[in-house]
Amino acid sequence: MPVNHLHNTANALEVRGIGKRFGGFWAVQDIDLTVRPGERRAILGPNGAGKTSLFNVLTGDTSATTGQITLFGDSVTREPINKRIQRGLRRTYQHAHLFNGLTVRDTLFLAVAGLRGSWRQVLPLRATDARLAESERLAEIAGVADVLDRETSELSHGQRRQLEIGIALAENPKILLLDEPAAGLSPAERPKLSALLMSLPKDVTVVLIEHDMDIALQTSESVSVLYNGRMLAEGSPDDIMRNEDVHRVYIGGAHGH
Amino acid sequence: MKQALTLVPLLILPFVLNDFWLTQVATRSLILGIMALSLSFLATYLGVVSFAQATMAGMAGYTIAFFGPNSVGIGVQLPFWVSIPLALTLAVVSGGLIGLIARRSRGIYAIMITLAIGVAFFYFTRQNYALFNGWTGFSGVRAPQIAGLSLRDPLPLYLLSLGVAALALALVSGFVRSPLGLTIQAVRDAPGRVLALGISVTTPIVAAFAFSGLLAGAGGILNVWYQERISSFSVGLGPIIDILIISVIGGLRHPGGAFVGAVVFVLLDTFAVDLIDRERFNTLIGVVLLLIVIVAPGGLQQLASDWMARLRRPEAPKKSTV
Ligand SMILES: Nc1ncnc2c1ncn2[C@@H]1O[C@H](COP(=O)(O)OP(=O)(O)OP(=O)(O)O)[C@@H](O)[C@H]1O
Ligand SMILES: [Mg+2]
Repeated sequence: MPVNHLHNTANALEVRGIGKRFGGFWAVQDIDLTVRPGERRAILGPNGAGKTSLFNVLTGDTSATTGQITLFGDSVTREPINKRIQRGLRRTYQHAHLFNGLTVRDTLFLAVAGLRGSWRQVLPLRATDARLAESERLAEIAGVADVLDRETSELSHGQRRQLEIGIALAENPKILLLDEPAAGLSPAERPKLSALLMSLPKDVTVVLIEHDMDIALQTSESVSVLYNGRMLAEGSPDDIMRNEDVHRVYIGGAHGH
Repeated sequence: MKQALTLVPLLILPFVLNDFWLTQVATRSLILGIMALSLSFLATYLGVVSFAQATMAGMAGYTIAFFGPNSVGIGVQLPFWVSIPLALTLAVVSGGLIGLIARRSRGIYAIMITLAIGVAFFYFTRQNYALFNGWTGFSGVRAPQIAGLSLRDPLPLYLLSLGVAALALALVSGFVRSPLGLTIQAVRDAPGRVLALGISVTTPIVAAFAFSGLLAGAGGILNVWYQERISSFSVGLGPIIDILIISVIGGLRHPGGAFVGAVVFVLLDTFAVDLIDRERFNTLIGVVLLLIVIVAPGGLQQLASDWMARLRRPEAPKKSTV
């Protein structure tokens, strides 16, 4: 079937000329980005480079000022968040806004269940509900199975980040956008996060914003570097490590270690 | 079931109280408690303080008055098994509509919008004669006779109110454990994040208001049977404030607190006349409210459970969760 054939060969994500303007200020401008299905892509860039702004446009959290976004061959530039979610797009947030009064289990349940319209949504959840079992499986993967019945307000910073990933993994995502999942983690927690990222199913496309070079280069096969809202360089981790421009603005700067 | 145990003394109550205490204090507390529960539910689980609960209760009350026996000769007589579901349905629909109107508002804005709706309804009932009989409203409303039992009598009305109160609390605790109930709480905590999960926030907000309409409507039906009349004054600023005061006294963050608040309110309302003159009641209730807000911002229910926790574990008082 031609449609399926198109899907198989289409890129997971294709971005052409994306720009986002706040008032008179372009947070991102003229971005082109192509990510193959199953690819692991890191996005690097100093603070304020426009990485989060780019994610917000890709997910539909904010609308693009200019440009086109294509997910698996279909244009989604004008689609609202929930439509893009149905296409298998998920993200985590740099600054987690979780449901403080809900437990980890209930939070993951909502991520799994959404709100599929049926009158049964008003009946108390039964412990045997398959969606609860799925929430527990996600908690296991994300490493928060030991705090399933805690309210999210009681979680440590690291646990909140892990829960974020658990939420993003609900309902078999096809493409994951992770916004600095390692930010604020202790040195002991970082390897655990790397391991979690490496253990994601191979067919899931991952785009990862990360300040931690070790995690970024270890988990990704290609790297895009943003600077002042524009694409500065793209290539393999080795290319990027050798790139003079990147060294000047990024590696040689605030994050040289 | 710990909650079920508290029903036992409440079932014995009719045998130790005389009719005055049973009707004027116990039944009235239960009815006001059910109406206040509709507000506490919204405040606790959606994080919205609504001033429109008296409107939802009034919709149900007026429906019962219009479609039942009354002494003003307005309306159509329907059997109670039609008028009661109709009254509850109208309360739920009005709750849902109010939720739809207020869905984008939080905090002070939600208060202002719901207050505006409540006051608008008050003036509407005063001006409309065909349905609401203007400011005089309906009198001579009679509670139905079911299986030879008149719900006007103190004991049946008390037991019915107790049953409805228990059912309302059970409904709340079941509903908040449902997928929709969990979504309502998620909207309270982070509405933007609910959207980011691909879930509409309008549905849970409207559902929460509609559910609060069901609770308020149940209270409104009992109230019109209890008072045997309903008028614009039943949906005016007085009852609006009373419901808020009861919820705050009991603790806005605890659904069960509504009934504690109602008992305190009714006792003050009934016996303050003996201590101070009638006009000073508002001053007294104001002082009580001020004390609660200063000494126990979580309400009496929270204060009591804190004390209980302290008694049980003297060294480590734990934050109570209801
Ligand atoms: N809603 C907004 N309104 C106005 N300016 C914004 C808004 N969001 C982001 N910006 C600006 O856009 C620029 C890029 O911000 P963005 O958060 O995308 O950077 P980032 O690369 O994610 O940085 P960090 O590494 O600190 O997370 C910044 O100068 C920021 O101040
Ligand atoms: Mg950022």
